[in-house]
Amino acid sequence: MTETFTCDDKEQLVAYLYDEVDGITRRRIEEHLRLCDACSAELDGLGGVRRELATWTPPEAALGFRITAAEEPAAVETVARPSRWPHIPAWAQAAAAVLVVAAGLSIANLQIRYGADGLVVTTGWMGTPSADPGASATAAAKTETPDWRPALAALEQSLRQEIHDVHPAAASTPAPASARGGDVSLQRVTDLIEQSERRQKQELALRLVQFGRDLEVQRRTDLVRINQGFGQFEGRAGAEIARQRQMIDYIMRVSAQPPPQ
Amino acid sequence: MLPQVAMTDEELVARTVAGDSDSFNQLIKRWERPIYALAYRTIGRDEDARDVCQETFLRAFRALPGFKGQAKFSSWLYRITLNLCRDWIRRQRRTPIVSAPEGVDVVELASEQGPVESIEDLVARKQLSRTVGEAMRFLPEEQRTAIILKEYHGLTFQEIADLQGCPLSTVKTRLYQGLSVLRRRLEAEGRTGVRTTEKAS
Repeated sequence: MTETFTCDDKEQLVAYLYDEVDGITRRRIEEHLRLCDACSAELDGLGGVRRELATWTPPEAALGFRITAAEEPAAVETVARPSRWPHIPAWAQAAAAVLVVAAGLSIANLQIRYGADGLVVTTGWMGTPSADPGASATAAAKTETPDWRPALAALEQSLRQEIHDVHPAAASTPAPASARGGDVSLQRVTDLIEQSERRQKQELALRLVQFGRDLEVQRRTDLVRINQGFGQFEGRAGAEIARQRQMIDYIMRVSAQPPPQ
Repeated sequence: MLPQVAMTDEELVARTVAGDSDSFNQLIKRWERPIYALAYRTIGRDEDARDVCQETFLRAFRALPGFKGQAKFSSWLYRITLNLCRDWIRRQRRTPIVSAPEGVDVVELASEQGPVESIEDLVARKQLSRTVGEAMRFLPEEQRTAIILKEYHGLTFQEIADLQGCPLSTVKTRLYQGLSVLRRRLEAEGRTGVRTTEKAS
């Protein structure tokens, strides 16, 4: 240790700031601080930063992770938490998304046609499909509504196969309960749909927020323009009045003057 | 209160290694908040911080048989978290993404939006409390990590030096430089808290 503390010994200053100095060093620093305004001010400033830092708290996140070790010798573990998308291959997620959209379309009876009358989008069950050839596909889709189940089951099967290939032990967990396999897979699809819905909801909200913001910006711009317009109008009207007043004054003056002899 | 005296981290680690995975869940319960906080403050994104937190415990669980108690269990967890955060930051540098402002729940935002307060005002109000966090983002990674470990996790200079793999004096220098930059930045933003004249002692 040096005998005295010098102003450029920032390491010691930081150690003092965090109270990680021995007694002798502390006394030396405090002695110096009594005499040196610059170091004293710097220490105060750094202390202020520390107080500001204390206000920075992370959000209250829902955590609750849990390890559930499988009985397999490979000891594959999973963490149970409301995850966004667990370890599912990207193509499987995409396939699930397509499935969800398809199911949604069939439920909502959404029809999109492009014909001589341009792009037509109809939703809901209110209108009956028209008889033109373009509508036959949608009509078929409507009658095929119960047929998506086998397709869904097939896709589910292939998804499960893929997941099984990637994580053999993870997939093996529900295997003993093969009789309940359908329920489990249905549950999984339901989960996927729920997650997708949540995400869509968020996206929709984001869009809404953006839309609202755009609207607000447009509104403000319009207000400014209207104000400017009014301002110009008032200015022009004012100028017109002033000119007329001048004219009247002139006429008054001219008419008041006696004609030159 | 707990019906029995809470076990130490090391005891729980030993029980986990012996095959009791519930003990590890107790360790998770004990450490998930600090680990999440460390990840959040380091990378600044809630969702990704949760992923890092989850991955930390997964990796720790897998590597637990190799943990010989050469360091504190918490320090070991911190090290895993910081490595994952570093990977995350590198990935972000390679593929920067544009996304909604972090910490602002758009769903909540949409429902909160009233006719009087504009969306910009609302975002600004939400972000006001995060000024410190924003200022921290501009620090070099090593300085930011040193400050986080010191301020929010109470690690000693030596523990930080061990985690960062650098000499003790480097840790102090990083802390000093980081705090000085923050001070200038916060003062420039008019945060009066850093101008107070009360004595630190």
